[in-house]
Amino acid sequence: MLQIDMKYQWRDFVADYQVSFSTGMHCIVGASGGGKSTLLALLGGYLRGEGKVTYNGAQLEHLAPYERPMTTLFQSDNLFPQLTVWDNVAIGVAPNRKLDSEQHQKVLFSLAQVGLEGFKDKLPHTLSGGQAQRVAIARTLVRNAPILLLDEPFSALDPDLREAMLRLIQELTLANDWTTLMVTHQPYEAQQLEARVVNVNAGRICE
Amino acid sequence: MKHFLWQAPTWLGALIYLGGVFAALVALLLQATPSDWGLSLTQSYLWRLIQFSFTQALLSALLSIVLAIPVISALYHNQFLGRRWLLNLFAVSIVVPTIVAILGIVIVYGRQGWFTSLFGFHFPLYGLGGILLAHVFFNLPLVVRLGLQVYGLIPDGQWRLATQLGLNRWQAFRVIEWPYLRRSLPGTFLLVFLLCFSSFAVVLSLGGGPKSSTLEVAIYQALRFEFDLSKASFLALLQVSICLALGGFVFRYIQPLQQDASLYRGAPQLRRRKRDFVVDLGSLMLAAVWIVPPFVAVLTPIWSAEFLVALASPGLWQATLVSLQVAIPSGLLSLMMALSLVSLARGFLYLGCSRVMRYLEQSANLVLMLPGLVLATGLFLLLRHTGGGINNAYWVVVWVNAVMALPFVVRAIAPAMLQQQQRYGHLYEQYAILGWIRFKLEWSAIRKALAQGLAYAVLLSLGDLGVVALFGSQGLETLPLYLYRLIGSYRVEQGSSVAVVLVLLCVALFFLITRCVGGRDVTN
Repeated sequence: MLQIDMKYQWRDFVADYQVSFSTGMHCIVGASGGGKSTLLALLGGYLRGEGKVTYNGAQLEHLAPYERPMTTLFQSDNLFPQLTVWDNVAIGVAPNRKLDSEQHQKVLFSLAQVGLEGFKDKLPHTLSGGQAQRVAIARTLVRNAPILLLDEPFSALDPDLREAMLRLIQELTLANDWTTLMVTHQPYEAQQLEARVVNVNAGRICE
Repeated sequence: MKHFLWQAPTWLGALIYLGGVFAALVALLLQATPSDWGLSLTQSYLWRLIQFSFTQALLSALLSIVLAIPVISALYHNQFLGRRWLLNLFAVSIVVPTIVAILGIVIVYGRQGWFTSLFGFHFPLYGLGGILLAHVFFNLPLVVRLGLQVYGLIPDGQWRLATQLGLNRWQAFRVIEWPYLRRSLPGTFLLVFLLCFSSFAVVLSLGGGPKSSTLEVAIYQALRFEFDLSKASFLALLQVSICLALGGFVFRYIQPLQQDASLYRGAPQLRRRKRDFVVDLGSLMLAAVWIVPPFVAVLTPIWSAEFLVALASPGLWQATLVSLQVAIPSGLLSLMMALSLVSLARGFLYLGCSRVMRYLEQSANLVLMLPGLVLATGLFLLLRHTGGGINNAYWVVVWVNAVMALPFVVRAIAPAMLQQQQRYGHLYEQYAILGWIRFKLEWSAIRKALAQGLAYAVLLSLGDLGVVALFGSQGLETLPLYLYRLIGSYRVEQGSSVAVVLVLLCVALFFLITRCVGGRDVTN
């Protein structure tokens, strides 16, 4: 169970989140500027607030982002442009990219999971938007963190591709027992994914 | 964008720059006697000059870059007490008057200097050792500041990823920092190499004799002592040919920097290890030990009674006034020329002519291949032919100083201006935001870079000794020339005091310009 009880203030914007997330899909919806991305940034450790973030009883708020059991996918900049697809995934399992055979298999498996086995030597700029996001998802798989935070990573994709990506995320969440939180502007996506809807407005949770 | 390119003010600065260079070269070529060139090429003295010019420039550039890389990374990743001070010192040491820095280096490393007192043996200052010491003193800070600008181009999203993936400093350096640095290094190497290749005052003062002389010094000797314009023009053309060949080679392999931005604004939280701290501290200490002592040495006369006597000299204040009268117009002219070149470059970038854009951006480096003394002589000859005469020496000095600062100014302003173009170019085009209105809109984003460029140009002009020496007898006695004459007449004590005034004036102008034009954070 992921729980947050945290206050955050930036200039005039004041946020106060108290909410719990069990395993499965959760869609964070709400008006622009209401604090959806702020919630994810606080959970991911990119912003510092006052209060607690816990996962299965363990406190996370003092941990750096890389020490938290979670992976965040952002709208953009999810890949290192100077690394190949293989290296972009491999860096998720070993930052020095020196893999043992088990890690090697893991990277191969995750690339196969997202259908990019044949793209491992490509550079990000040669990929389509959907392929690039699938590389990021492959890295999420190799990291195997139980919490996945999605800050509108598919918003720039066309509707069909977007739906395919959401299905992939849903399958992976169910298969791996992840707790997945996704910021979205489309309430129907929550229905499609059979996700719990969490409404965030003016820095407050209003379910 | 087409109408943007056709706006007359955009072209004005470029025309003043390129037109002047062309006119000076034509005037010099008309003075040359190509029939003597074959004989000159057979002289072993000439080949020794070329070999030494190459060796010292190559070693200076390599040493400056190798020492600067860990310093850049350390400064980027660490916030510590004195960081801002060190950065300011680096900024000033790039443009500190050469003669002042040489004075400081001699006080520290000379036969009777601090180094000898501390270690019991003397540093081999006169010769290659001293030249490298001085060139690294000037260029290490330059490489660091340029490197920090490159780090500013790394998208924040990459740091965010590094943070999420738990990369340590070394891993982040290899994955993120090195690919960006690597692309900027050929350009930086070329800049430093050419600066050292055409270095004049350092080689003249610390070369220690004909064994350690360079082409630039030989040009000066041909102009100053032999007044052999034909020989000077031959040597200058030789220097231009070598630099152009090297520049062309490096330019061919330069990869343009990818300029990008993302919305994430956060400090990288990389894994910290003890050895990272040791490397950071070691590299910062080395840089500080290299840069700080000559500054301290130059400032020591401030406590002596001689300093007050020197302050009372009317010659000092007259020279200060002349220096300001030259440096400020020269800085403004340099900024105008740089703005023109970069505006044209980004106009062509928008039109998809990236090759033209690169040529325009790199054209500022053209002056690195043309010694200032030669440009000044060319313009002087031109004025003499056209009846302008020596009365226009002031404008020649202002123009040459502005042109010599151009590579620094363009490198200071181009990244910020090109990034504006890449991010918002389509908006400016869509709404036909042109000229002055666009400048006002961009002002808050580019003012820091403009301030830094202007400060460099003003300070470089303030410290120039080469060009003004040619015209110094025409009521153009600037502070460096005044200082040079004091040292030449063995009034070293008084000279040291003048050096203090010159350094203080540099610091004051740097802060005034960066604060007034650039806003509060410009030096950080």
